[in-house]
Amino acid sequence: MVKLEGFPVEVTLRDGRSVLLRPMTAADGGRLLEFFRALPEEDRQFLKEDVTRKEVVDRFVRELDYERVFPLLAEHGGRIVGDATLHRTKYGWSTHVAAIRMVVAREFQRSGLGTALARHLVRHAVNVGVDKMVAEVVDNQIGARRAFAKLGFYEEAVLKGHVRDRQGIRRDLVIMANDVSHLWEAMEALVADYSPTVGA
Amino acid sequence: MAKTEIRVGGLGGQGVILSAHIIGKAASIYDDKEATLIQSFGPEARGSACSAQVTISTETIGYPYVKHPDVLVVMSPDAYAQFIPTLKPGGWLLYEEDLITLDERVPEGVKSFCIPATRFAEELGRRLVLNIVMVGFFAGVTGLVSYEAITNAVKSSVPKGTEDLNLRALARGYEYGCELARKSAS
Repeated sequence: MVKLEGFPVEVTLRDGRSVLLRPMTAADGGRLLEFFRALPEEDRQFLKEDVTRKEVVDRFVRELDYERVFPLLAEHGGRIVGDATLHRTKYGWSTHVAAIRMVVAREFQRSGLGTALARHLVRHAVNVGVDKMVAEVVDNQIGARRAFAKLGFYEEAVLKGHVRDRQGIRRDLVIMANDVSHLWEAMEALVADYSPTVGA
Repeated sequence: MAKTEIRVGGLGGQGVILSAHIIGKAASIYDDKEATLIQSFGPEARGSACSAQVTISTETIGYPYVKHPDVLVVMSPDAYAQFIPTLKPGGWLLYEEDLITLDERVPEGVKSFCIPATRFAEELGRRLVLNIVMVGFFAGVTGLVSYEAITNAVKSSVPKGTEDLNLRALARGYEYGCELARKSAS
């Protein structure tokens, strides 16, 4: 069972508004659907699924499993205003890797909410033993790239012309990565119970 | 409390020295007591026998070596076999439940407390923090260092970025230890 240390947590945004960050529960289906439907099409086009469909959101709720997908919601005034998810695989060669996806309501963009969501998700990922995180951003999503960079993400790969926007313009998809395994390499060295000076 | 002698034993790679260091640091730096640490390890980085001796006192410690500990913390069968005969009769034995089986060598009057520390660490996400689970367990069972002190000692001893998980490991062991201590007292 995934531990939910540090949640819920209240964060104050740059403009003074206060937002509650908490893991999604099965009771959030309706409000999550409202949130997704209120997103402008421009913001929805980069999502992997058509989240305006009730059956899609119902599936998110039905298959809620924090060890596979950990959804962190931002709530303000009883309304969901942001959704960040940490996706992991339980099988295969990349069980140490997790992907971060995030979407924030228009009126909360450029307020620091995206950074706050990503920061808490990264912290959670480290807590549950993830070694490496990746996030996909489109080359013109400057704010998102900057927010991830602040949290230690770097540009690891660029898929040329991988994304086509509403105007039909093809854009580059940037894979940003954050390898946190070095944190645990330091811990591993600490618990090695070995002194290279002994016997020297 | 005059003086309490502790021995921590296990295998190289289990974090024996770090756990002893944290216990000593909690007592001396954060609980304002006196503490000493003696450590010994085999030449290999992993798998060799490893132990540490910690003395905690409210007074100046004149002799830091521990021959017959009041408290024995063991994380491997070899450490148990090696050190159990040295535990003082009536002393406290804290051990890793899934790795060690007690036998007739346990001295008379010893109070024993066990914890599945490795399993807890794995459930928390990293086997690596088993020693921190054990440190929390030690603090919870013995009460020799305060929770605040041991928390500060862990925070200041582990690499930056790993504090959260280490503190959760500490809390897991501490709560488990407090619970066992309560049951044992009643």
